[in-house]
Amino acid sequence: MQRFRDAYGHLLEWLVGALMVILFVEVTVGVVFRMTGHSLIWYDELASVLLAWLTFYGSALASVKRAHIGCPELVDKAPPRLRRALNIVAQLLVIGFFAILGVVGVQIMPVLTGDTLVSVPIPMNLVQSVIPVSALLIIIAEITHLVDLVTGAKPPSSTESGIALADGLH
Amino acid sequence: MGIMLGLFGAVLALILINVPIAVALGIVALTAMIVTHGWGVLPNLVIVTYNGATSFPLLAIPLFILAGAIMNASGISRRLIAFASSLFGWIRGGLAHVSIGASLFFAEISGSAVADVAALGSILIPGMKSKGYPAPMAAAVMSSAATLAVIIPPSIPMILYAVMAETSVVQLFVAGIVPGIVGGAGLMGMAYALARRYNLPREEAFSWRRVRSTGRDALWAFLLPIIILGGIFGGVVTATEGAALAVVAALLVGLVIYRELHLGDLRKAVLEGAIQTAVVMLLVATSALLGTYLTEVQAPQALAYAVSEFTQNKWVVLALLNCLFLLLGMFLHSAAAIILVVPVVMPLVRAAHIDPVHFGLIVTINLGIGQQTPPVASVLMVASAIAKESIWAVTRVNIWFIAVLVAVLLLVTYVPVTGLGLVDFFYR
Repeated sequence: MQRFRDAYGHLLEWLVGALMVILFVEVTVGVVFRMTGHSLIWYDELASVLLAWLTFYGSALASVKRAHIGCPELVDKAPPRLRRALNIVAQLLVIGFFAILGVVGVQIMPVLTGDTLVSVPIPMNLVQSVIPVSALLIIIAEITHLVDLVTGAKPPSSTESGIALADGLH
Repeated sequence: MGIMLGLFGAVLALILINVPIAVALGIVALTAMIVTHGWGVLPNLVIVTYNGATSFPLLAIPLFILAGAIMNASGISRRLIAFASSLFGWIRGGLAHVSIGASLFFAEISGSAVADVAALGSILIPGMKSKGYPAPMAAAVMSSAATLAVIIPPSIPMILYAVMAETSVVQLFVAGIVPGIVGGAGLMGMAYALARRYNLPREEAFSWRRVRSTGRDALWAFLLPIIILGGIFGGVVTATEGAALAVVAALLVGLVIYRELHLGDLRKAVLEGAIQTAVVMLLVATSALLGTYLTEVQAPQALAYAVSEFTQNKWVVLALLNCLFLLLGMFLHSAAAIILVVPVVMPLVRAAHIDPVHFGLIVTINLGIGQQTPPVASVLMVASAIAKESIWAVTRVNIWFIAVLVAVLLLVTYVPVTGLGLVDFFYR
């Protein structure tokens, strides 16, 4: 499972890294054009979409690395069997939430057909596809952790590196 | 009020069984909405979650994180430490002062106290230990000094607050300058007192020649961020645009000027920035769900009303909010505390005629202190881990530095001109 997860994480790293670079380049180009007096009308709308994509695809990578902000302190202090049970419940809740988000994300696709972004003719369906696709990616990552929990292949709860990553923001 | 307490209780229960906070918010909001409106509400929820992640001003966060990570990989920590050492090394407890001075300088590049303590602490804490500083002292001074990173601009918590409270991030940045410098001076004073008590050594004697040579070496790392901040303050660029320019500057420093940035470091910096952004932005996105529900049931207004029944005095309200945020800081990460609590208390803040910029500064300092107070204290944990000491041993020394930070908090709260003086002067 760990090997699968490493390969999967590596794939997501490419996707998320590329999004980050594109986001940076897009904003920089936008600034340069605005300062030289040729504002690009699509720059802030497109940048916002890129931020949303970075958020949701980045969340999938964060799921692989267990980097989401949480509070493992209490559960870590519980006796091993209770700890394992609570971790499994938490894991199922996470999977359930993203499953709902993903399914409804697909269901609203027909409603949005024909809509595009305001400043550029990019279809809304493409923009919003990030929700179901990233939900699926997150579920895959969370299932690998769930399998490890159930089979006892790995100590439950977050890894230190994951917490350190999530904490980096403060 | 009852509804709000119930919702927060449910969120708390989920968080305590280790459901990620972002997901806990989403689950509770989803359940509340379905109970009130039925299943038909689901499509709206997906759109709200998506829109929650599309805020243009929040784009400054990934870019400032990226700029800080690149700068750090470019060998600037070492240069800033050398410069701080030439300025403050001659005082008793020299390295403790160097830690505080270097944190002051690093704070104008980085918006994150954890990034700060990781970058500087990994060099300075072992350095202090080898000079005979007790390990808890070394960790405590580095940990509390790192708080300056979130008070002095740029600051990630300030950007988050400004978006949540719909106020000016630029004015909030400016408001942080004086309190940050006052805090740095206060920490140095305390470090001096402790240095006498532990009989800590001085570093080499003061020399202008060393100040000049180390200053020249650190010049670019120092100057480019100041120019960019100047551009933001002057209104030439927005905070988001300035953040993009900060990345350009960081690349320039790393690749052209110091030439110490390698492709591997760059890749790591990009991924770290992306993940840190994603975890906070997911929180923002799912909190939009809960926010929609709370607005619908008018919970924030109910809270404002309930408190105003009890008192209308601005200073009493501020004292209450200070207690609330200090308490929250012990148990919540600062990003989570801002995203969860700020939208709820804003109607109360406005009703009590508290300046939102003033309040933003207060929240930021509070949560900065929260990063020092266990059990949940991200910055303290990193510093303690580097020093290989338990967080409780470090806290026994750190309590003195926390006292300084609390004094700064009280000063900023009750003498508003400390923070707002510059803001009034430039913008009002």
